[in-house]
Amino acid sequence: MTILPILKKLGSLALTLFAASILVFCSMYFVPGNPVSFLLRGRSPSAEAVAAVTAQYGLDKPVPEQYVDWLANVLHGDFGRSFQYREDVSTLIASRAPATIGLVALAGLIIGILGLAAGITAALNQGRAADQAILLASTGLAAIPSFVGAIVLIAFFAVQLGWFPSFGSGNGFLDALYHLVLPALALAATFVALVARVTRTSMLEQLGREHVEVAVSRGIGRGHVIRRHVLRNALGPILTVSGVLVAGLLVASSIVEQSFGLSGIGSLLVQSVDRLDFPVVQAIVLLIVVIFVTMNTVVDLLAPVIDPRSMAGAAAR
Amino acid sequence: MSLLEISGLTLDLPSEPSCRLLDGISLNVGAGETVGIVGESGSGKSLTARTVLGLLPGGARTSGSVLLDGTDMLRCPPSVALDRRRDTVSMIFQDPRSGMNPVRRIGDFLTESLRLCEGWSKADADERALELLRSVGLPRPESHLSQYPHELSGGMLQRVMIAGALTAAPALLVCDEPTAALDVTTQAEIINVLRKQQETRGMGMLFITHDLNLAAALCDRVYVIHSGRIVEYGSALSIFTSPRADYTKRLVAATPTIPSVSGRRSSAAASHGRAPSAGSAEPALEARGVSKCYAIRGGADIRAVDDVSFRVPPGGALALVGESGSGKSTLARMLVGLERPDSGDILVDGVSRSTRPRSRAERLKRARAVQIVFQDPYLSLDPRIPAGAAIEDALRLHSTLRGVEARARVLTLLDRVGLTEKHSQSKPRTLSGGQRQRVAIARALAAAPGVLVLDESTSALDVSVQAQVLDLIDEIRRERGLTLVFVSHDLAVVRRVCETTAVMKQGAVVESGATAGLLEHPGHPYTQLLIDSIPKPRRSLHAISQ
Repeated sequence: MTILPILKKLGSLALTLFAASILVFCSMYFVPGNPVSFLLRGRSPSAEAVAAVTAQYGLDKPVPEQYVDWLANVLHGDFGRSFQYREDVSTLIASRAPATIGLVALAGLIIGILGLAAGITAALNQGRAADQAILLASTGLAAIPSFVGAIVLIAFFAVQLGWFPSFGSGNGFLDALYHLVLPALALAATFVALVARVTRTSMLEQLGREHVEVAVSRGIGRGHVIRRHVLRNALGPILTVSGVLVAGLLVASSIVEQSFGLSGIGSLLVQSVDRLDFPVVQAIVLLIVVIFVTMNTVVDLLAPVIDPRSMAGAAAR
Repeated sequence: MSLLEISGLTLDLPSEPSCRLLDGISLNVGAGETVGIVGESGSGKSLTARTVLGLLPGGARTSGSVLLDGTDMLRCPPSVALDRRRDTVSMIFQDPRSGMNPVRRIGDFLTESLRLCEGWSKADADERALELLRSVGLPRPESHLSQYPHELSGGMLQRVMIAGALTAAPALLVCDEPTAALDVTTQAEIINVLRKQQETRGMGMLFITHDLNLAAALCDRVYVIHSGRIVEYGSALSIFTSPRADYTKRLVAATPTIPSVSGRRSSAAASHGRAPSAGSAEPALEARGVSKCYAIRGGADIRAVDDVSFRVPPGGALALVGESGSGKSTLARMLVGLERPDSGDILVDGVSRSTRPRSRAERLKRARAVQIVFQDPYLSLDPRIPAGAAIEDALRLHSTLRGVEARARVLTLLDRVGLTEKHSQSKPRTLSGGQRQRVAIARALAAAPGVLVLDESTSALDVSVQAQVLDLIDEIRRERGLTLVFVSHDLAVVRRVCETTAVMKQGAVVESGATAGLLEHPGHPYTQLLIDSIPKPRRSLHAISQ
């Protein structure tokens, strides 16, 4: 009874990914410019040269066939070769991944801790100074785009105070972490504000529920009531919003990477779009779609754990 | 000294400086005594109950004292109040479904105070929980422990709530309308559980209710509370049979009852009664074998309405009575055309309406024929539209009146339901529950329907307001020759308005006939059960305790 909904979710995940792969593949044909002319770097080539390049990259075959070839390769982990770097896309991405993973993980940690803490503090002090301050700060943070935030952070912490480096990835784990502090803060700022707001609203809604009053009336201490009945029940909306935020986080990471000169996947995406390096763009976009859809499927699958009633539609009564 | 002694309790809120929410409340509850507080919504009865546990609304200013076993719950430090809640007083709330955390198991609910506050081991706490669940008469205590609240019915949940309140073996149990959200037969069961627990444990009980009948059936003494003041107190029976205060007299008069069938109301209803199966005239409303099924994902289909047939003559009034889940509201929605029957036919003035309306004109014509007034006027009126505009909208849709004429008609309709021009400008939130329901009735009448369906239209209202609205409905019906279908869970209420009654259970009509006859000589055991479940003052106590 409980395995069927999970299978259904996984099935719809596979379908979504399939549809996304078609879109991603076809995007190559929606973009102005032609891969062949890029490959030949603006030289005015002979007809033979064009034909040779076209054949080398399989561009002479019908589009559906190209798609099937591409998909078969992708499923084997082969995303083709980059036009601009002349190396395998998978190797390229693998070399760039650690910087991005580190950035997103650190930002996620900051979002989780600061966002939840600010939201909880605001909810428990509703209407008082702490709540007002957090609301004001979150409105401000949410309004600042991450590239502006990045510049402000660099100007203040890197240039004026000189506490943190403003550029590059650093060598070794600790140095890399040190280099990631400012980028992660710039990336996290907007999302901290969003998570804080959702947490506050969700907590306040639960605080007004009758079952919370019942728990208080039974002589259960405030700490237990807040943790077991308010925060626990508020998790659902927070988790749902977090799942949706993943997409924004990945997209914003490319901007932040550019600002701080980190050689991660995001900056690779920006450069590749700029130079019409289609295999790389396709691979990265597909990767982002996979991560986003997977995260949200995980959130969906967690829903019954968070709230047993969400299974009731299928199972109970 | 009494177990609970409230003296001169007053309570103000800074947000409402103009009115004092509690004004000089004094009452006492002795050990092992059951004391009732009866009042309508906004009277301060729930607020009084909460002060006993030291639960005050934010920013409340109080004076007077609430002495619980010698501790003043208003002035003692929070930690002492916490201790009193753990060991001396417990509270049961109105709606068990919203009173229990939906994401935690029943076992967790029952044992959390023992485990977290008293430091019991899980095994010991579970043992105690099982014992309590058994004592409140739940069928499978072991499996209930690992179930979630949504897997249990309302009546079962209220038993769990009672068990939860008894974990600490309190000396005083405060019950705040513990049966108001339950069906009448379930109410009778819960009252029995409460009475049994109170007797075996020798607890004091403070029982808050809006239902005078219920208070009189259960309590030794009763306090009647109105706008934050106690207007009368005394033994339950004396309050019920010989009330002294004007307010109590009005309350007693407004409370619907079953036993005295020879009362003024029933004769009024009977005077324009027709034989239920008057086959001579064409019925204004007829149902022929109407059925409706709902498919439930992963389960068997539910037959919400199962082969129901009836005829209501023009100007007649039919009551559809049943408990929640009996299919009465689904039937009402089909009569209005909000749902279509799976099989069978509904005819209004001989015209079938089982097919989908083909044009806008046909849809409007059908809407004009049958109008509905819903249960909760707080939900059925758009909060942003003033009352007058809501009625005018209905006129614009269903009549040719425009502009000045339409507004004049709105005022006539408002006047008809006892409201004035002033109310036509008011947004619903500034109106009281009774006023809102009057607006909803006026809006339904704006279409000049032949048939009016009332879906529990008075059950969200206070008893005194309910009585006024019932009178209003009765008047309008006679004046306009309206055909009424009154859907209700309350036999005592429909008795005031309808001369014929159909009792529904699990989608089917189990018994139908003249209301008076049905009440005096119920033919079906379920009808008998419904009648017996209505609380009656202690004189006829045997009826409820069986």
